[in-house]
Amino acid sequence: MATTITKPETLVGKRIRRREDPRLITGTATYVDDVKIPGMQYACIVRSPHAAAKIKGLNAKAALDHPGVAAVFTGADIKDLGPVPCGASLPGLRVPHHHLLAQDRVYFLGHPVAVVVATDRYIARDAADLVEVDYEPLDAVADPEKALAPGAPAVHPEWPDNIAFTYHQDGGDIAQAFREADVVVKQRITSQRLIPTAMETRGVVADWHSGDRALTLYTSTQIPHLLRTLVAGILGMRENHLRVIAPEVGGAFGSKLNVYAEEALMAHISMRLNKPVKWIESRRENFLCTIHGRGHVDYYELAAKRDGTMLGLKLKLIQDLGAYHQLLTPAIPTLSVIMMPGLYKCKSISADIVGVFTNAVPTDAYRGAGRPEATHGIERMVDILAAELKMDPAELRLKNFVQPAEFPYATATGLTYDSGNYAAPLQKALDQVEYRKLRQEQSNARAQGKLMGIGMSTYGELCAAGPSPALPVGGWEGATVKVEPTGKVTVLTGISPHGQGEETSFAQIVGDELGVDIDDVVVLHGDTTLVQYGIGTFGSRGLSVGGTALYFALQELKAKVKKFGAHMLASNDVTLSGGTCRDERSGKSVSFAEIATAAYRGIQLPPNTQPGLVATYFWEPPNFTFPFGAHMVVTEVDRETGAIDIRRYIAVDDCGNIINPLIVDGQVHGGVAQGLGQALWEEAVYDDNGQLLTGELTDYAIPKAHFMPFIESSHTTTPSPVNPLGVKGIGEAGTIGCSPAVVNSVVDALSTLGVRHIDMPLTPEKIWKLIQGGQA
Amino acid sequence: MIPQTFEYTSPATLQEALQLIAGGERKILAGGMSLIPMMKLRLALPEHVVDLSRVPGLNGISEAGSSVKIGAMTTHHGVESSPLIRAKCPLLAEAASQIGDIQVRNMGTIGGSVAHADPAADYPAALVALEARVHLVSAGGERTVAASDFFLEAFTTAIEPGEIVLDVEVPVEDKSEGYRYEKVPHPASGFAVVGVAVRVKKTGGKVTMARIGVTGMSSRAFRARAAEALLESGADVAKAAAAVGEGEEANADLYASSAYRRHLAQVYAARAIAAALSRAS
Amino acid sequence: MKIAGSYTLPLPQERAYYLLQDPAMLAKCMPGCEGLEPIGENEYRMKMKMALAGMSGLFDGKVRTTEQNPLSSFKLIVEGSGKIGFMKGEGTLVLAPVDGGTSVAYGGDVQVGGTIAAVGQRLIDGTTKMLIKRFFDKLAQEAAAQTEPRP
Repeated sequence: MATTITKPETLVGKRIRRREDPRLITGTATYVDDVKIPGMQYACIVRSPHAAAKIKGLNAKAALDHPGVAAVFTGADIKDLGPVPCGASLPGLRVPHHHLLAQDRVYFLGHPVAVVVATDRYIARDAADLVEVDYEPLDAVADPEKALAPGAPAVHPEWPDNIAFTYHQDGGDIAQAFREADVVVKQRITSQRLIPTAMETRGVVADWHSGDRALTLYTSTQIPHLLRTLVAGILGMRENHLRVIAPEVGGAFGSKLNVYAEEALMAHISMRLNKPVKWIESRRENFLCTIHGRGHVDYYELAAKRDGTMLGLKLKLIQDLGAYHQLLTPAIPTLSVIMMPGLYKCKSISADIVGVFTNAVPTDAYRGAGRPEATHGIERMVDILAAELKMDPAELRLKNFVQPAEFPYATATGLTYDSGNYAAPLQKALDQVEYRKLRQEQSNARAQGKLMGIGMSTYGELCAAGPSPALPVGGWEGATVKVEPTGKVTVLTGISPHGQGEETSFAQIVGDELGVDIDDVVVLHGDTTLVQYGIGTFGSRGLSVGGTALYFALQELKAKVKKFGAHMLASNDVTLSGGTCRDERSGKSVSFAEIATAAYRGIQLPPNTQPGLVATYFWEPPNFTFPFGAHMVVTEVDRETGAIDIRRYIAVDDCGNIINPLIVDGQVHGGVAQGLGQALWEEAVYDDNGQLLTGELTDYAIPKAHFMPFIESSHTTTPSPVNPLGVKGIGEAGTIGCSPAVVNSVVDALSTLGVRHIDMPLTPEKIWKLIQGGQA
Repeated sequence: MIPQTFEYTSPATLQEALQLIAGGERKILAGGMSLIPMMKLRLALPEHVVDLSRVPGLNGISEAGSSVKIGAMTTHHGVESSPLIRAKCPLLAEAASQIGDIQVRNMGTIGGSVAHADPAADYPAALVALEARVHLVSAGGERTVAASDFFLEAFTTAIEPGEIVLDVEVPVEDKSEGYRYEKVPHPASGFAVVGVAVRVKKTGGKVTMARIGVTGMSSRAFRARAAEALLESGADVAKAAAAVGEGEEANADLYASSAYRRHLAQVYAARAIAAALSRAS
Repeated sequence: MKIAGSYTLPLPQERAYYLLQDPAMLAKCMPGCEGLEPIGENEYRMKMKMALAGMSGLFDGKVRTTEQNPLSSFKLIVEGSGKIGFMKGEGTLVLAPVDGGTSVAYGGDVQVGGTIAAVGQRLIDGTTKMLIKRFFDKLAQEAAAQTEPRP
């Protein structure tokens, strides 16, 4: 029989619509608040209205007497439970004991003080108002630079200097670099506190089964497995008696890469009351008590030769930590340090971090986590240097890029960049805007008194976290592929997707590798009883680490499939392609489904072969991946009002190979939206008493659909050598590339007025004042 | 985000509604776009809420002689999309179309908005510029208050306890008039940082009538009478706009200082006047 | 939040000064004040009922005057707290004769906390100014009523 071999059309690389979307957009997905269990109680948390105060007394009698109230828990009830965990360790790190509920003092606005549990959420809320707490307000400090000033109120009385840690890193010879420099530019650059604002707030349902001594914890998290280990530790229970389920998670952006007091509290309360209990965070609580992002004050110095060659970069980084360390709080600024040279051959660096306690909710990972701050810093400094040298900012970048032949490239901060062609996306963006022509248009516009700006950022990213030695927890990921007896394929992944679309992209990979229909693949995640241990979804690692683990599991599975196929075809040389196992010489074949059935029937087993078709692989990545790209923004500033109009937004991203371009587009769009949020609108503002003035969506401006410019998104492709898929990660790139491009553009627009730097957010009044000053 | 327990009544007739609120203690619920969030935040703690949504005759738009009557329970979307209002008082439709967002416009009502009198609401600017009248009713009878006498201070109106807004009556704009509503929306709340509503008539290039309503700048919507007079006496747009806000204290918040807010009111007044003039025939 | 402003009371300076020291007068003129009860020298406990924008709140507070410079200046400290939030205002009032009466220049600092601070940002400045104006308006009105001959 003649056979024609055609290369099967691949699923990888196709714009396939996300299979998770229909349930999300029709309201049929199951979030934590959709979990309803008979007999369930509801919790409401009493929170401090002060940023710093002593608790002189607490009287819960009226609340306990309120009809329907089951219990009130206070600091005394939980004082022997473990603290909220900090997973990061740094030499000399001061770690305040972070009780699940305040003991005799509160340290930030919204600090949990008591939990009221009742038969329904309305009663719980009413009764929370009946808990009388006698506070003695203390002086607070919410600004990290003010917290460092002599005489500032001590956030933790035991550490009156408010310093949680200092950290130094250097590379090359910074003193020599600055000696050799023709020019040194200096700038203070802030990266303001942001509120992550996931659409779904946090929520927990804890369900204790006393008969089994087993607890099921439903929680909106990015890291179900780590959370299980850590919450079991807080409670002092056996880890395998705790099952954590992350149901649908409605956005996280890093804010759910954490273990929060409420998760352990609800678990404890369910066990104490022997009843299921639910807590759903309100938006107010979400703003007050879920981690914030960023919170940097950075002092940069960049040394260069007159021809633009960068020699050395110094950074003093003041990190606003908030009152406590959440899971990764002190580690986040160290990511800024390792990424500080960006894409440039800057041989010498020196960085000093001061981690500062403030009376505010802790900062922690928020989309990009340390890398947006670093990118904003270096990309602003490059523009400031270009202005100083009167060089074109694109030319200055091209001059200093690490060159394609130099990979793998060892940075002065100790990283090894995997692969790159940094000029390619910049060149593409420059061509797309017709850069020379655009500069001409700008000079004509300026002649007419218009404030037109052209700005760019060429960002570098560190993704696919990562090698385990570089992380406070493991950096590997696991995957199991199970072929069911009917030939349908079930994937269990250790990552915990919550918007990244791996139910689709993983199915594409499986479809191609096994030759099965994409609809025959189910990707399961987020249940610690169902899925082998995993690390979770964060740091753009889902596909690059979790997908790679899946890829290797598939290779093992394919080997076994072929072994069965060869046995069934009585051959010793078979191929597996398009869902068929074939002996090319005899022309005989057996289908994938037939092999699956045989593997489970167990009567045609090849020698030394176990029945069943299951493969599990745990993959430890040898390195991070390093995506990069160029974003270019054309703006026009309204001279009368300071309002900024984004005329063009061009994003050229290189995330290595692309599995699903539609999902990548979505990630770029969402990332850019959050980058624009930081650049233009968002800022968490605490006043001098630690009151959060942007305490609701009525004052805290997140981007809305109609604020968005059209994003001209495209790619260059430089595969990563770190993993066999050649993928790098795209989850955070849009955010990282965006803010410096926008600020560079607006600074460029105002450069004729002598403006050199503007701190974010670029609110119209701030711009208007600069225009007024420039005209004066 | 759970309100305090409250009693809820949804009367079926105006009579019943008026009796319920006669004591003045009960809170009236119209579209709920301000009241409900305040209740959920427990800033508003009414013990009894009277919902007007079932009361017949409060919803609808009709022409009555030289004016258009808009029932208090007419939604912003109803106003924005009404062919009658678009034809007869287009300034009001233009202002309505810029309120909040689509969900707010589908629920929020003109009666609720004027009664709440948020100092940054959009309607009041248009209503004072249109010289509209607010029609109030109580168990004791009915009365009419001119818009410029209606908005007294932030959240304070001429409404007496026991009264509800029956309708808002807007004089028909002359076909030859030019009009414009220009607004700087707050990027978070959508409220007007400043909003300026302008009506102008001109004859042979000379402005014969100008009405300018301003919201968002101070504690209440007001008529910029000095600027109106300047325009009517032949001053140019820039000069007239520079007089907007004279004698008014400008508010400040995190987003805009009082100096910037005053400046924005003047810039947006100039833009609105210019746009209105270009529409006038 | 910093506040500053001035108000001209149509009263001679001495009268203006003593009216501003008079607890009964303060109680009458402070918006929502439901009476002052002395608890120390120039210090009073106060209950306030605020009703604004559908917002209704009972506040327990204190009023204190200090650093008196008779006729020319004094310091006023007002604090209050209720379910919807808390506030503390501290300001110096400086009196000076002007045409038609006495100018009262005030300047100070207002701290607001709780839900009001978190969600009321765009309204706090305007509302504070409005309440201060209401206070002085009422004071002027009450003063005029006192001087009018009784029928």
